[in-house]
Amino acid sequence: MTVAALTERVAARSAGPGAPPAAGIRSWLTTVDHKRIGILYGVAAFAFFLLGGLEALLLRLQLAQPNGHVLGAQTFNALFTMHGTTMIFLAVMPASNAFFNYLIPLLLGARDVAFPRLNALSFWIFLFGGLFLNAAWLVGAPPDAGWFGYANLTSTQFSPGLGVDFWMLGLQVLGVSSMLAGVNFIVTILNLRAPGMTLMRMPVFVWMALVVQFLSILAFPTITVAMIMLMFDRFFGTRFYDVAAGGDLHMWQHLFWIFGHPEVYILILPAMGIVSEVVPVFARKPLFGAPVVIYSGALIGFFGFGVWSHHMFAAGMGPVADAAFAVSSMLIAIPTGVKIFNWLATLWGGALRLTAAMHYALGFIALFTIGGLSGIMHASPPVDLQQTDSYFVVAHFHYVLIGGSLSGLLAGLYYWWPKITGRRLDERLGKLQFWLFFVGFNLTFFPQHYLGAIGMPRRIYTYAAEPGWAFWNLVSTVGAFVLALSFLLLLVVAVASLRAAATAGNDPWDGRTLEWRTSSPPPVENFAALPPVYGRDTFWREKHGDRHGRRPTPAPAPPPGPSHLPSPSRLPILVAVGLVVAAAGALVSAWIVVAGLGFAVLALFRFALEHHANLAHAHQDGVTGVDHRKLGMWAFLGSECMFFGTLIAVYLAYKGRSVVGPRPHEILNIPVTTVSTFDLLMSSLVMVLALAAVRRGDARQTRRWLTWTALLGLIFLGFQAFEFTSFVREGLTLQRNLFGSTFFVLTGFHGGHVTLGVVWLLTLAILSLRGRLAATDAVKVEVAGLYWHFVDIVWIAIFTLIYLIP
Amino acid sequence: MSTVLTKSDYGRATDEIYGLIAWIALGIFLIVVGLLVYALVRYRERGPGELPRQIRGHSLLEIGWTIAPALVLLVIAIPTIQTVFRTQPTVEPEGALEVTVRGHQWWWEFSYPALGIVTANELHLPLGRAAALRLEGPDVIHSFWVPQLGGKRDVIPGRLNRLTFTPEAPGEYLGQCAEFCGVSHANMRLRVIVDGAEAWQAWVRLQQAPPAADAAATEGAAVFAKSACVGCHTVRGVAAGVVGPDLTHFGSRQTLAAGLLPNTPANVLAWIQDPPAVKPGVKMPALGLSPAEARAVAGYLASLK
Repeated sequence: MTVAALTERVAARSAGPGAPPAAGIRSWLTTVDHKRIGILYGVAAFAFFLLGGLEALLLRLQLAQPNGHVLGAQTFNALFTMHGTTMIFLAVMPASNAFFNYLIPLLLGARDVAFPRLNALSFWIFLFGGLFLNAAWLVGAPPDAGWFGYANLTSTQFSPGLGVDFWMLGLQVLGVSSMLAGVNFIVTILNLRAPGMTLMRMPVFVWMALVVQFLSILAFPTITVAMIMLMFDRFFGTRFYDVAAGGDLHMWQHLFWIFGHPEVYILILPAMGIVSEVVPVFARKPLFGAPVVIYSGALIGFFGFGVWSHHMFAAGMGPVADAAFAVSSMLIAIPTGVKIFNWLATLWGGALRLTAAMHYALGFIALFTIGGLSGIMHASPPVDLQQTDSYFVVAHFHYVLIGGSLSGLLAGLYYWWPKITGRRLDERLGKLQFWLFFVGFNLTFFPQHYLGAIGMPRRIYTYAAEPGWAFWNLVSTVGAFVLALSFLLLLVVAVASLRAAATAGNDPWDGRTLEWRTSSPPPVENFAALPPVYGRDTFWREKHGDRHGRRPTPAPAPPPGPSHLPSPSRLPILVAVGLVVAAAGALVSAWIVVAGLGFAVLALFRFALEHHANLAHAHQDGVTGVDHRKLGMWAFLGSECMFFGTLIAVYLAYKGRSVVGPRPHEILNIPVTTVSTFDLLMSSLVMVLALAAVRRGDARQTRRWLTWTALLGLIFLGFQAFEFTSFVREGLTLQRNLFGSTFFVLTGFHGGHVTLGVVWLLTLAILSLRGRLAATDAVKVEVAGLYWHFVDIVWIAIFTLIYLIP
Repeated sequence: MSTVLTKSDYGRATDEIYGLIAWIALGIFLIVVGLLVYALVRYRERGPGELPRQIRGHSLLEIGWTIAPALVLLVIAIPTIQTVFRTQPTVEPEGALEVTVRGHQWWWEFSYPALGIVTANELHLPLGRAAALRLEGPDVIHSFWVPQLGGKRDVIPGRLNRLTFTPEAPGEYLGQCAEFCGVSHANMRLRVIVDGAEAWQAWVRLQQAPPAADAAATEGAAVFAKSACVGCHTVRGVAAGVVGPDLTHFGSRQTLAAGLLPNTPANVLAWIQDPPAVKPGVKMPALGLSPAEARAVAGYLASLK
């Protein structure tokens, strides 16, 4: 099928503006509409939430009495592992994504996200990844090493079954979904704002989303590296977490928590963003100190990278590290507190409408305060050493995650339900549902502070009667069932609402932001005409004027032009299928891995070329003046900095710790590697020439320089193959020692990146050969160039730090 | 197993800062919730009317409620840092008793190098003397936690961690492993018995003595000596296995299976006959002894006072 024919077929399938939304399962499987993807995320997140909740109820049943016999030890351990993993990765994060997807284009005055098909891809990878992870139950091998799986409990020696493999592979797959979404939303938020919407005029929810996306792309690479190391230990016998070979068990903890702490801000910032939208609407006043709330959110995100070892106060890092992380963890409390005071000040002097959404927003303020205060206690190492790994910390994180994140998300659900469905949720039942939730939640988790204070450790499948923990465990279990009941009631409220007629109208709450300016639900193209932006809270300003009552002058009519809507595509779901088949294959046979990856790669090729000849896609410039694809590549390269930075840091941390040789100075061949380095540098030079050629429309030169770049890349890979084989012959293998493990993984992944680059460049060269790479396609060469130069720069770092420095 | 009714110097140092932070936290909570509830009552919309004053912010307030929390945190941070350094001395106190703690899946090994004593799951310490615990482990990460005597410290294979405290009241203190370490993590319990001077001397003498030879237990001793028991356990002079706990003075311990069961003849018998039924995943297999043999061995173990 030629690219042209493919494009025609795709164009024929897409709906024009004003058309009714397509119906049928197929339309949902191929949708690239952000609103539909948002609904898909929301439904999937809720389903996984119910699963995670069921797991929690089973845990609580077992713990209701001392020496309980409801569950065996292994089942209990699997249940708490899956409960945590499910709630974090399959419930709260996707629920946040549901809101990001549905609302962000609307809040920005845009028609969709920057990369609609990538958006769909993120969803399908998440869904299949979540199903894969839970398939572990079906084969009787659920992961049971805890949601943060400390090495070396997760080694094949101490966890020999498939459980940890499912967990490890599942999380890697889910990580891909998050990273793609991160790139997508960064470009969307920076580039697709309606005219007049400067960054500081964006709704606070969008700002919190932006911080979350940066956290995602910068934090996930670290856990990816930690998991790669675990995967290589388990599958290939490397030594990363092998104590006898010199491995350091603190390494897993550092890498995990460098991800893990930003992760908790990924979990809470969306909810804070929602509260920052809901409270002003139902107080009929602007958010107090909106710029300060925005800066606080950004600061929290930034400082969130500097506190990770407060999860390791018991691990024996020494008093200096303990003190340093104590101080940094306490510092984070400042911007957090500032937000709380700003929300309170928003209420002050307002005209409060206590809708169900407002109940949840106010509940957030109270409950998150409790969770934040117990967090401050944890920030002090002496106190933390009593509280960590006990039910006190379990209480702490459930207060911030349920009292915080979930309350915020539920506030968002009640608030935006009319916009998404066109129907209202019953306010009376909604408030009842809130109180049931509030009572059930506090009954479950407040006593757990006390249980921790009287010495009950966490993650124990049973306990004796002697320490006196029985009564409050029983109370906590009762509370859990009340909490569960509240979610059943939520289901009832939701279903009842969907059965009623769609009478909510565009703006049931007298809202402040742009989503209320269009119909409920919005049409496929979101807005008939792109809305004018008068400032922060632009829709409120339009309706009520500024604080002096002055109405804004009407905006000039937007320039006429075709509104290009993204066309459905079945490639996202196909790529996702390939990826997850490959992950599952890792548990069964290498051939299935190859088949899965092969299928995914083929689908990716079609994905990349699907709109190659589509003129509507030729220019994708945005507000920043930078093409979407270029901006996306920069964001991606940011994550790659963290990825390679982590691999290099692990190499350096493990330097000199190998128990047996060969050692670096005995085996690294600097003269030969200097030649290959020079070769790679020359390839960057030639790439620059290729970009210049495509820009001036010189197809022959373009082809020549692209091919040369690829060739020089192949020569580099040849050198690397030579190096690897001679090292193996001299006795240095992946498994030999820490040096072998760290060296081969670091340089191997770099080589993998070079290989991908070569394939990319040759594809571009072939496109040029077929007359399909014109001057208008220069940005595609430029984006490939950015990637290629980055891979070169990484090599310079590797060459310097690993080869040159003794 | 209270974390706030502590009985050691480490515990007292922690209690001070714990109390400070807890009271401050309570105060902040009352302020925030108080303001919240007040606002809810006072500013409730009483019917459609004019819009309230559309105040966007107030710089002085922002500065104020940024500086105030910072000052509060300073008040918390300074004693925190002081306590961190005080409870992690670089040099062990004079005359400290060195104890090596090894965390195994799923039991605790305690040895006193200076005294030549090796025991398991029950840690005797002298009252009023610093105990310098060296924490190490041969398998996975565990965590040594006796709440009434101080905070926890992880046992990390490949690393040496330390925990130092001086018990200040005699008594028995319950503890438990506090880092998930596998199937029977919940069953890895311990107790610390803080002895007054006389009781301590008596205990040390008892532990240093060779195993008691009880005439009534010779049959059991014989069964023990020729079964697989000797491959894993040590009874000084009889067996030298190092996989499982040292049993030289097993009869003087209050519990078995790492604090799971009281050390009664019936429980010992049940344990010997089917350890995995008592403790899931335990490395000790059912040895296939006949009921008579098992009873004899149980009697022998009870005699090892």
